[in-house]
Amino acid sequence: MIHMANKLIPLKEAVTRFTRDNMVYASGAGLPVGSDSIVFGMEMVRQGRKHIHYMLHSCSQQVNLFCAAGTCDRVEAAFSGLEVYGFANGIRKAVESGRVIWEDWSNLAMVLRFMGAALGWPFVPATVNIGSDLQWRSSFNPDGFPCKVKIPDVIDPFTGKVYGALPVARPELAVIHVTMADIEGNAIVLGTEWSRYELARAAGRVILQADYIVDTDCMRQYPNLVRIPDFLVSAVIPWQLGAWPQCSVGVYDSDEAQMNAMNTMLGTREGYESFREKYIDSWQTHEEFLAVIGEETIERIMTNATTHLMDPYRKWVKEGLEIRSLMNDSIHSLQDRFAPGHIAING
Amino acid sequence: MKYDDVSYKEIIMEYTRKEMMAIATGREIKDHDLCIFGVGLSMLAGYFALAHHAPHAKAITEGGVYGSSPVGGLPWGIEDNRISANATCFTGALDALGFMVASGRCDLGIIGAAQIDKFGNVNTTGFWEDPQSRHFGRPKTRLNGTGGANEIACGCKRVVIMAAHEKKRFSERVDYITTPGYLEGGNARDRYHFVGTGPSAIITTLGILRPDAVTKEFFLDSYFAFSGIEEMRANTGWDLKISPRAQVTPKPTGKELEVLRAIDVTGMLRK
Repeated sequence: MIHMANKLIPLKEAVTRFTRDNMVYASGAGLPVGSDSIVFGMEMVRQGRKHIHYMLHSCSQQVNLFCAAGTCDRVEAAFSGLEVYGFANGIRKAVESGRVIWEDWSNLAMVLRFMGAALGWPFVPATVNIGSDLQWRSSFNPDGFPCKVKIPDVIDPFTGKVYGALPVARPELAVIHVTMADIEGNAIVLGTEWSRYELARAAGRVILQADYIVDTDCMRQYPNLVRIPDFLVSAVIPWQLGAWPQCSVGVYDSDEAQMNAMNTMLGTREGYESFREKYIDSWQTHEEFLAVIGEETIERIMTNATTHLMDPYRKWVKEGLEIRSLMNDSIHSLQDRFAPGHIAING
Repeated sequence: MKYDDVSYKEIIMEYTRKEMMAIATGREIKDHDLCIFGVGLSMLAGYFALAHHAPHAKAITEGGVYGSSPVGGLPWGIEDNRISANATCFTGALDALGFMVASGRCDLGIIGAAQIDKFGNVNTTGFWEDPQSRHFGRPKTRLNGTGGANEIACGCKRVVIMAAHEKKRFSERVDYITTPGYLEGGNARDRYHFVGTGPSAIITTLGILRPDAVTKEFFLDSYFAFSGIEEMRANTGWDLKISPRAQVTPKPTGKELEVLRAIDVTGMLRK
């Protein structure tokens, strides 16, 4: 019989064990309206993490929240808006006041930087971002124009042509939202991956936040679709609706009213305090979290045009009671495996 | 109703400025093009073209949603459920923006601009008190950043830029080059060996600008029926040159409006 490591972990414990102040943190997919590990970010705020250096693909409500909450000091990303929902107020206020230093890259640059780290490359040759202020201006190195250290010139040894060198991006921890995972950390993502494939291979440690926990037989039925294999993953947090108010393709829509309300609240100090009270401090358990969203909203966002995408996998979805039982048998229930807040990259 | 139905000729057409802009942008798309659109107006313009005159064109999103069209209204984002419901392929950003766009495989990209100069360089990053300062401090106003527009501008064979035509946006110099147009003009792009040849049109709320073949400075090529040469010049921050052949942009046809409105089910362009 094949030994299976059960890596399920409660949200609170995952944040306590695997995050710390001053860490280089990444989330995936890190999109404004697509999915992201939003609830993990809420728990980091609740536990008071500070001075996070945040890498993500594009903007998301998680980085909007971190900027408003004072959780992060530095961000590296390609986009800081909420698409049709407009400018991200928490980010704007923090960046314009200088509380957060935002280093701009493009969407392709971010995925290439994760890929370079995943491959163990020293840098990645760039045919994009060069020749623009993405190359010549650096918020992290503000003095000296044009900047020569953000995307330095590199010469193609075969042709002599000058291109740029992108630095690789190797976050200490990546918390990745997936549609479904098994208890060992094999994961299937519905919708686009963005850079989750590369990020899962670039980060020192990977934690999954999954809408559904499924039986491993599901992975054996669709192995081509398992783009994050178990051995890359340290822990799996079961948390349905954990990308709310953003969407999870195949499961729930973005919550239009809450996307706007959250963004409005994150634009002021008083608004942030109100957000924190209503949407973070008001719940502890998953059941309480669902109650905060509300039955009517859940019904509405789970009735959407993509639910057919989930149909082939439903027979393997585990129910709450079984998940709770599995949680008790998890390797993470052994308290001595990781000291709180300690990052053991190969632990 | 068939699109070539004679009854269209009897319709007194009314359309909004945004609809004209979307239709003018959509006309830049050719059948069989591989296209990449951003969210909002550019997505409506793109899917209008696919439904109207480019049935063999294909659209991709930056994150790798292929073969889909919006369901239930304008998507909130380029990867949300409304654009994911009927996809034929989900892949990732490396595939879409790298293998398809940066490689030069993509024929046409549509991007937006908060600020633009006469060589088609675009700023969507921010505004600074002193944009020429050697010290790159915090912005006076933070905008959204580039997303994938930078690689679209570097790699796509043709790039169409959509922008609101206002003097403060059409400036001699942009605060920050988020997305390269023709840089300082002429053959300046050659220094970077970009695969794409640069922006082919700027579609504004007033008309269409195109680049000079040699200098690469954008000139007024045509103006919308509700606009005019003087209005466009008055709303441009540089001395906008006029094509000797400048004329009114053809108005939307009945067929074009019907197809566009079928795509724009939430009426975003009519607000």
